[in-house]
Amino acid sequence: MLAVSINAALGRGAILLGLLTCLSGVAVTIAGIRRHDLRALKSSVRYAYVAFFAALLAFVMMERALITRDFSMKYVQQVGSRDTPAIFNVTALWSALEGSILLWLLVLTAFVAAVARKFRGRVGDELLAWAMVVMFVVGLFFFFLSFGPANPFTMGPLGVSDGPGPNPLLQNHILVLFHPPILYIGYVGFTVPFAFAMAALITGRVGEGWLLETRRWTLYAWGFLTVGIILGSWWSYEVLGWSGVWAWDPVENASFLPWLTGTAYLHSVLVQERRGMLRVWNLSLVIATFSLTILGTFLTRSGVINSVHAFSEGSVGPWLLGFFAAIVIVAIILIGRRGDELRSPGAIDSPISREGAFLANNVVFSAFAFVVLLGTVFPLIVEAVDNRRLVVGQPFFNRMTMPLGLTLLFLMAVAPVLPWRKASQEVLRDRLFWPAWCGVFTLAVAVFVGADGWAPLTAFAMGGFASGAALRQIVLASRRQGWRGVVGRANGGMVVHIGVIIIAVAFTASNSYTRTQEFVMNEGETVTFSGHSFTFEGLSLESDDVKTSVKAAVRIDGDQIYSPSRSKYIKQGMDIGTPSVKSGFVNDLYLTLEGTVRPDDTQARIKIFVKPLIMWLWVGGALMAIGTVLAAFPGKRRRPTAPVSAGLEESVKEVADYV
Amino acid sequence: MMSSRLSKIKRWPSWFLMLVCAGVLMFLGTQRDSGPSTAQERIEAISQRLACPTCDGESVYESRSPGSQAIRQEITRQVADGVLTDGQIVRMIDDSYAADLKLIPSATGFDALIWVLPVAAFVAAVGGLIIVFWRWRREGSLQATQEDQILVTQARQDKD
Repeated sequence: MLAVSINAALGRGAILLGLLTCLSGVAVTIAGIRRHDLRALKSSVRYAYVAFFAALLAFVMMERALITRDFSMKYVQQVGSRDTPAIFNVTALWSALEGSILLWLLVLTAFVAAVARKFRGRVGDELLAWAMVVMFVVGLFFFFLSFGPANPFTMGPLGVSDGPGPNPLLQNHILVLFHPPILYIGYVGFTVPFAFAMAALITGRVGEGWLLETRRWTLYAWGFLTVGIILGSWWSYEVLGWSGVWAWDPVENASFLPWLTGTAYLHSVLVQERRGMLRVWNLSLVIATFSLTILGTFLTRSGVINSVHAFSEGSVGPWLLGFFAAIVIVAIILIGRRGDELRSPGAIDSPISREGAFLANNVVFSAFAFVVLLGTVFPLIVEAVDNRRLVVGQPFFNRMTMPLGLTLLFLMAVAPVLPWRKASQEVLRDRLFWPAWCGVFTLAVAVFVGADGWAPLTAFAMGGFASGAALRQIVLASRRQGWRGVVGRANGGMVVHIGVIIIAVAFTASNSYTRTQEFVMNEGETVTFSGHSFTFEGLSLESDDVKTSVKAAVRIDGDQIYSPSRSKYIKQGMDIGTPSVKSGFVNDLYLTLEGTVRPDDTQARIKIFVKPLIMWLWVGGALMAIGTVLAAFPGKRRRPTAPVSAGLEESVKEVADYV
Repeated sequence: MMSSRLSKIKRWPSWFLMLVCAGVLMFLGTQRDSGPSTAQERIEAISQRLACPTCDGESVYESRSPGSQAIRQEITRQVADGVLTDGQIVRMIDDSYAADLKLIPSATGFDALIWVLPVAAFVAAVGGLIIVFWRWRREGSLQATQEDQILVTQARQDKD
């Protein structure tokens, strides 16, 4: 046996190659900028490709090690197993700290290579060159992590021939194959707008150029982050067995924070593009979004915060914290240096305008992000200051974010109908009329079907109001532009809005009106709950190399059998419950098997959750993804003189009717 | 013709009618009981307010650990007794553990910061926004003085 396996040797070599490539990329590109050397600048494209090749090679070597069960490597000893099914052997790569950094590197270098390829014809542009430098620096940092403190290619103790496999929670659902990579594409994708923002600050080209260059990159990153978060919620719902989709867990919050600031940015950027305003704010939002991805990684990868799916303590914490601090300090210095150049030339004429609504939206999103960040790190602050343990949980977040969420729904209703610059009372009265009736109609339906409580009812009414405004925009745009009425930033954005509204309504309903009952059932016994019958038909035992499962057979409404189970994972000795869900458009029936069970028992404790509108969370998520793609397509180009929010004829008619 | 009828519909009386309808519907909806409808749901609601004593950041409601199971059993017992209110049950269980199990930080002492800071930040942001709008409005209403106009004329002449 070789002292170093081929996987480890090639993997380490690849990481070293990536590290040196990024280092050279930084040096050569900066030298090229200084000397105006086009040849040096052109070489940055090749450095980007080589860095991607290096990360890809390291990734492939680690996958190969996991698939071929190369137990000479420490990481494979930690997360690999001879018995793990093939698919979860692949996903084991990102099931622990070192592998997840490797996945981060692969996605990051793919973005760097994609940017280099996209702009290869403009390598002489200083803005682009500095953006490449910033991306190489970020790449350098992550290659360094992978080379040093989070090296996945270190050799393990000799003589190990098997491992425990990944955490059992990460090997019983197919979503672990999709959720982390998609989330990472979202996370890492924000590196591109960040790099261009920093480049704008360095070069002093702080106008709208960098925004336009990165518009789609930002949109795609945001879209992937959205889908990643939704898939994470789905995984949580299908696997964890407490019937919820969102627990305000630090890891969830870590992904939600950049989403909040990223969403604020996607809105405020429109004001800068249109009116040349909010330059400092937009730069700050992009930098905040990227730095929050690093802070989130620190919180969840360093072991400082307890979470059900945070990784165990590693030595990467101080490095990540240092990198986060460096980003913030450098950004503040650069923004400070540009001072007067960042002053916007214009002014917002009225708060009752599209740009006024976007500003309000940004204040609310920022407050939302602040609440989530404070709730996430407050236990750390208390521990440092007061030396005691504190857990900030779901009730705090629900209480604090509920008014902010309702305000955002209200703004989603009002903003799309507002014209730029100033809205008259008549315009508001006219354009908000049908959307507002949509809100009242939705409220009436909610009351009719039995909804109660002021907060959920307000959420439903605001959801109806906001969807009315979004549909109005789509209908008007489709009348004017045909099929292009759903394409383009504004119209695709309305599809995203409808997705968000559906999620908000479904989330409110599932949180507020879940019905739960636990039954101790004998074999053959039928119980009725919430209008459904549940017949317990007995327990059965299923075993494979990985786990032993006891499954309960429960027939729902005399029809299909559903099987919640409890599994004992042999190597880890962990007892994991797996729910079984009957999904429907109105309700999900969510079953769990509670307590300790033996296959020869004739009695079982079955817990039944009746959860309304859960399926609509996934439908809403899909609509958000579709809307993002539609928003990325170029819409119909307007003449510069054309009115923004309404056709000329419409405005003339409005005036004539009013007169 | 059609659009003029539509614009008549959209006048203030219709808005007033809409507000009345919304108010009545909200009144009807909020009059219903929105609390837990069964003892089990009361147990679930209480367990959502307590942290699992042995696991990582989960609530008793989410966790399946033995520590959480024990607390859940205690909640079940107290709910069955029917003597204590939800808040009293939470306090009693919290007091019986050395660690702080309440998932909602208290509004006193150092912990009060978690409630005060977001409100203060929000008020500051809204206040800042109001000041900015006020400044913009003031700048917007500034008139060019005679000196400004002379400067512009001179600049134009220089350019020519």
